[in-house]
Amino acid sequence: METVEGESFGEKYDLFVCLQCGKCTGSCPLSMRSQLNPRKLVREALLLENEAVMDKDFLWDCTTCATCRLRCPRDLQPVEVIIGMRSILIEEAKVPSTVQEALESTFKNGNPWGRAPSKRVEWAAELSIKKASEGAEYLYYVGCTPAYDPRVQSVARSLVRLFDAAGVDFAILGNEEKCCGNEIRRMGEIGLFEMLMEDNIEMFENYGVERIVTTSPHCYNVFKNEYEGLKAEVFHYTQLLCDKLDEGKLKLTKELKKKVIYQDPCFLGKQNKVFEEPRKLLSSIPGVELLEYDREKMRSVCCEGGGGRMWAEATATGERTAEMRVKEAAALGAEVIAVACPFCLLTFEDAVKTTGYEGKIEVKDISELLIEAIEG
Amino acid sequence: MKIVVCVKHVPDTAEADVVITPDKKGIKKEGLAFGINEWDEYALEEAILTKEKYGGEVVAITIGGKDSEDTLRRCLAKGADRAVRVEDPALEGSDAYALAKALGAVIKKEMPDYDIIFTGTQAGDDGFAQVGQTLAETLGIPHAALVTKVEIQDGKAKIHRELEGGLEEVLEIQLPAVLAVQTGINEPRYVSIMGIRKAKKKELKVLNLSDVGLSPDEVGEKGSLLKLEELYVPPVEKMAEILTGAPEETAARLASILDEKGLIPK
Repeated sequence: METVEGESFGEKYDLFVCLQCGKCTGSCPLSMRSQLNPRKLVREALLLENEAVMDKDFLWDCTTCATCRLRCPRDLQPVEVIIGMRSILIEEAKVPSTVQEALESTFKNGNPWGRAPSKRVEWAAELSIKKASEGAEYLYYVGCTPAYDPRVQSVARSLVRLFDAAGVDFAILGNEEKCCGNEIRRMGEIGLFEMLMEDNIEMFENYGVERIVTTSPHCYNVFKNEYEGLKAEVFHYTQLLCDKLDEGKLKLTKELKKKVIYQDPCFLGKQNKVFEEPRKLLSSIPGVELLEYDREKMRSVCCEGGGGRMWAEATATGERTAEMRVKEAAALGAEVIAVACPFCLLTFEDAVKTTGYEGKIEVKDISELLIEAIEG
Repeated sequence: MKIVVCVKHVPDTAEADVVITPDKKGIKKEGLAFGINEWDEYALEEAILTKEKYGGEVVAITIGGKDSEDTLRRCLAKGADRAVRVEDPALEGSDAYALAKALGAVIKKEMPDYDIIFTGTQAGDDGFAQVGQTLAETLGIPHAALVTKVEIQDGKAKIHRELEGGLEEVLEIQLPAVLAVQTGINEPRYVSIMGIRKAKKKELKVLNLSDVGLSPDEVGEKGSLLKLEELYVPPVEKMAEILTGAPEETAARLASILDEKGLIPK
């Protein structure tokens, strides 16, 4: 196969050294429920022509959790091979209509949710927050889902109150903020991703941004690892708040007597190795008993919200991974599933409903639990 | 087949707050997202599908400023062969009739031997739904609006039209004709940013009024039948009354309310 940029898959992704050991497929959270088979795809990328990807609807099942990449004994990147195959589908316009709408909206509106750019900052209507033009130590990059999704807006509002409480000097871009492109690149729309990256870097530089703090691990990941030429330092909010906790500026005083289990977001945990800060924040809340999944940290299981899956219904059948995780949490006696990612928040809330645990298990973002601990 | 598609670059106002400019003749463009008019996107797809099936050439035409080239580039990337943009200060204030005259003049110059002209049924900004029919009239050819299916048959086309109450009308139309397309007629394809970049090599011609043989008096306010007096946001009414009771009682009550408000001509 050849990438859309005309390179051979074999050379670009170094596929000749693949052992075909199958660890990638064994690690894939979807392979048991879908035809998605990273090992087979790596082989096919070497042996078949581009035409072979045209009828592979299951390529949209991949959540880009990257477990295949992290476990490969040869340091290969099956997940990137899948993204490369998606790019072929994008250029051939073989795109699920929901993905098409998300991409077209991102191009036109700067967000994948089909929402007006002039409504981006509505979540903050009742808050007074500095604009990036006024300058601040941190740029709080809110992200599309926290800006527009009614459930996740609560996370953005909680973070503003927490930053204020901890004395963080921060500003937002308001309606000027645009999609970070993490999901866009993973859906295979390379051209659109590059456009967003260039626009965002230029905007950050115009405002003299030196430090960025994000709501979402997805935005954090792309800024930190994939934005070529970005000079600003990038933090996930759990890192910044953990620092403020250590400095004694974030005071968690109110008791919250709950058994809480933490779901590692793939883009924060296994992909960026931020494991301790979220746990430290949670266990510092008086009264919280922090539980752990058997499969946690590097072994944590994806919620199926990443890689464009928020806009693509999978071909996979059977129990969703988030449903499996809710049941595991229930078996461990958890009352709250704590998340640190907008997509985990949405997929887990759905899973709590579909597994019949509504009213028994709550899904909360860490920021929402911290608010309860500072304000009671 | 020689195919023309007329497109318009419009703001998306479905969700955004619309602010009227101080001269009350337009809306503020800042903060609005612009793109191809939704109906035109289907018209474009139908034009490309027709070309893919029968061969030929598609030319995309728009009237508008430099920013509307974004829409033309998308047309080219999706499969139009060339594009034409007409811009002239004299076009300011044109109604659907004046715009139809201008489009007709461009078409006669750029593709005089056309077989089909596709337009959207209406535009999402001013919502006139008149340009297609008026264009057909100025060119002296037949037209159909709200078109939901097109089958080409040897110099004619079999057209399905969407009517009220879920009815569908099927008719035969002599080509050349103007077909004003309804949304849902097809599934517009995705075009990637890479695709748009590659299409930059295709021809995009910019013309003014004299290039297409029109005088300034034929367009703009002078060449229009309608003149825009004022745009305003309808005031939000606070009161709603639901009449209850037997039909004869509520009808009598409604009649007296209308009478009290002076809404029944004496």
